[in-house]
Amino acid sequence: MGLAKYVARRLIYMIPLILGISLVSFLVMYSAGDPITIATMGNPMITETEKQFLRHYYGLDLPIPVQYFRWLTNFLTGNFGNSIYGNKPVNQLIASLSWETVKLQLVSIIISFLIAIPAGIYAAVKQRSATDYTVSSISIMGISLPVFFTAVVFILVFSYDLGWFPSAGAHGAPTLWPVFGIRNPILDEIAHLVLPALVLTLASVAYNVRLLRAGMLEVLRQDYIMAAKASGIQERTILYKYALKNAITPLLTLLGLSIGGAIGGAPMTETVFSWPGLGYQFVLAAGRLDFPVVMGITMLITIFILLANLITDLAYAWVDPRVTIE
Amino acid sequence: MHILEVENLKTYFFTEAGIVKALDGATFNLEKGTTLGLVGESGSGKSVTSQSVLRIVPKPGKIVSGKILFEGEDILAKSENEMRNYRGKKISLIFQDPTSSLNPLFTIGSQLTEIVTQHEKMKKTEALEHVIKTLKLARLPDPEEEIYRYPHQFSGGMKQRICIARALLLNPQLLFADEPTTNLDVTIQAQILTLLKDLQREVGMTLVMITHDMGIVADMCKYVVVLYGGNVMETGMIETIFEKPHPYTEALLKAVPRLDQTKELVSIPGNIPNLIELPSGCVFHPRCRYAVDACKGNKPPLEEVEADHSIACIRWRELNGGR
Ligand SMILES: Nc1ncnc2c1ncn2[C@@H]1O[C@H](COP(=O)(O)OP(=O)(O)OP(=O)(O)O)[C@@H](O)[C@H]1O
Ligand code: SF4
Ligand SMILES: [Mg+2]
Repeated sequence: MGLAKYVARRLIYMIPLILGISLVSFLVMYSAGDPITIATMGNPMITETEKQFLRHYYGLDLPIPVQYFRWLTNFLTGNFGNSIYGNKPVNQLIASLSWETVKLQLVSIIISFLIAIPAGIYAAVKQRSATDYTVSSISIMGISLPVFFTAVVFILVFSYDLGWFPSAGAHGAPTLWPVFGIRNPILDEIAHLVLPALVLTLASVAYNVRLLRAGMLEVLRQDYIMAAKASGIQERTILYKYALKNAITPLLTLLGLSIGGAIGGAPMTETVFSWPGLGYQFVLAAGRLDFPVVMGITMLITIFILLANLITDLAYAWVDPRVTIE
Repeated sequence: MHILEVENLKTYFFTEAGIVKALDGATFNLEKGTTLGLVGESGSGKSVTSQSVLRIVPKPGKIVSGKILFEGEDILAKSENEMRNYRGKKISLIFQDPTSSLNPLFTIGSQLTEIVTQHEKMKKTEALEHVIKTLKLARLPDPEEEIYRYPHQFSGGMKQRICIARALLLNPQLLFADEPTTNLDVTIQAQILTLLKDLQREVGMTLVMITHDMGIVADMCKYVVVLYGGNVMETGMIETIFEKPHPYTEALLKAVPRLDQTKELVSIPGNIPNLIELPSGCVFHPRCRYAVDACKGNKPPLEEVEADHSIACIRWRELNGGR
């Protein structure tokens, strides 16, 4: 089947999925409670009439099917409505937050794979050596340490004690980078990025190392590796060309999933570091039952994951000639 | 002249269950330009022998002691770097399973060309020409087109032709063919064997046929080395061996599959030995119909009992003396 036809078919199949997920999320959120009650909780002066007015303003007094239909028609025209908090267009909100999340996630995914690939190969090649045991134990530690723990420890040590990096936000702020004692917008962004990116990297790198080590060990036992060796091919070529490609192909799925999931941010990490990204915003909005924001972020994540899945499948077919798209 | 001399070779696998003595003192010589049959049941150490000669024994295996001389040169004294000039270039190996011995993610053209360019100072296009020429030698139809294909796009027989071409790329003097037909259809088996026979004659290399099929040995080989439990039981000219065999070889010969029951191998009674705890004395004694108490004592050495015929058995003279 032609590539274009395949992609078109996959895209069409996504439509019912997206609609289904939107309906379920809408219903779940609706059963969670009334956002206006929560929004006005801190205001003892507000009257029931005023609350009713607000509900009417946001269309929350309409029957659920009507509300969903209104949301859907808006969604199909690319409009996610306005947030209940701050009354801002959700589109704009998401757009500005997405960049911060993508920046943080991309940096940590790239660093994670850059560390995991050589470490995993090395541990596999030097199987059962001191290096292997060291890499493996660190990996297990990394996997078992929860993100909130490493995040808090890092903030305490590198931010409060040593004062090297800021502990909250993505940029600006009164902080200048004390290590360099300079105020430069790019350095400032990097300084803010260091701790959350490190925490996220630590959370995934250990897992990636173990997967790659296992994959390499499996591949290095294969006959085609021994055959390459028997043909006098250099060790370097065997490891980094022949073995790595075979070991990394299954990891493509993982990479696709993590990039797909990345747009959702890491709610825990973003929250601890008050990172102005989608994850943190999602946690805030869910707590306040800010329907339009929660729906907007949910739909964005859904679409992103589905697209990442499609791209992963295409990449797979491109790397592995045995896989055909059908 | 001997192209290969193997002396008291011990290759062990240090597994968690214990030390697997895959080769426990193997000794044999190989005449240049001939075809040698390396025979023995499954697990007797045939593949490990070829891996040892190329020094590609996989972990946790290790050559523990012994001597391997190739054209008089001590292989075990070579550095890893020097070894690369032997692998593929002087000594080659064809694997049992052509499917698993080709990398699934690279075209056959790229896999074979890499071997040429890593050994010879050749441009890519020249190397590709050479690859096509060698594939033609291995009778692969249309190599000009086929080099752009991936392994999974070929049939088993075609894949084995590709593997044979891969082994011949650098004109090796010595070629190990490790059960090259076991995984192929019967009709294809004959074609591949004929191809190997023809190539051996055309190219004039020394060929070691690893097999447990005495029929193939009788058809192709001039000399035979019989392995059992990591020990060489017998070496000699094919005629001598058929005439006055070692008790194990005799059992193997009886186990030759008859033509009307093609796949069914009549096996030797009893089990192949546990390589972690080898039987004392003659490793074959638990299964040998001629075994006496003395066989459990000392390991019988491999002795030249007549011209071009060596035997490791304390009773062979007695058993064959009357004839
Ligand atoms: N990678 C390995 N790890 C552990 N033990 C091994 C390994 N490879 C071989 N062995 C051991 O060495 C013994 C001899 O193996 P080898 O592959 O040489 O047998 P073979 O004579 O080629 O048998 P087959 O006819 O089944 O190919 C086996 O019984 C096995 O126990
Ligand atoms: S030494 Fe004894 S057990 Fe071994 S083959 Fe000869 S007769 Fe059989
Ligand atoms: Mg074998």
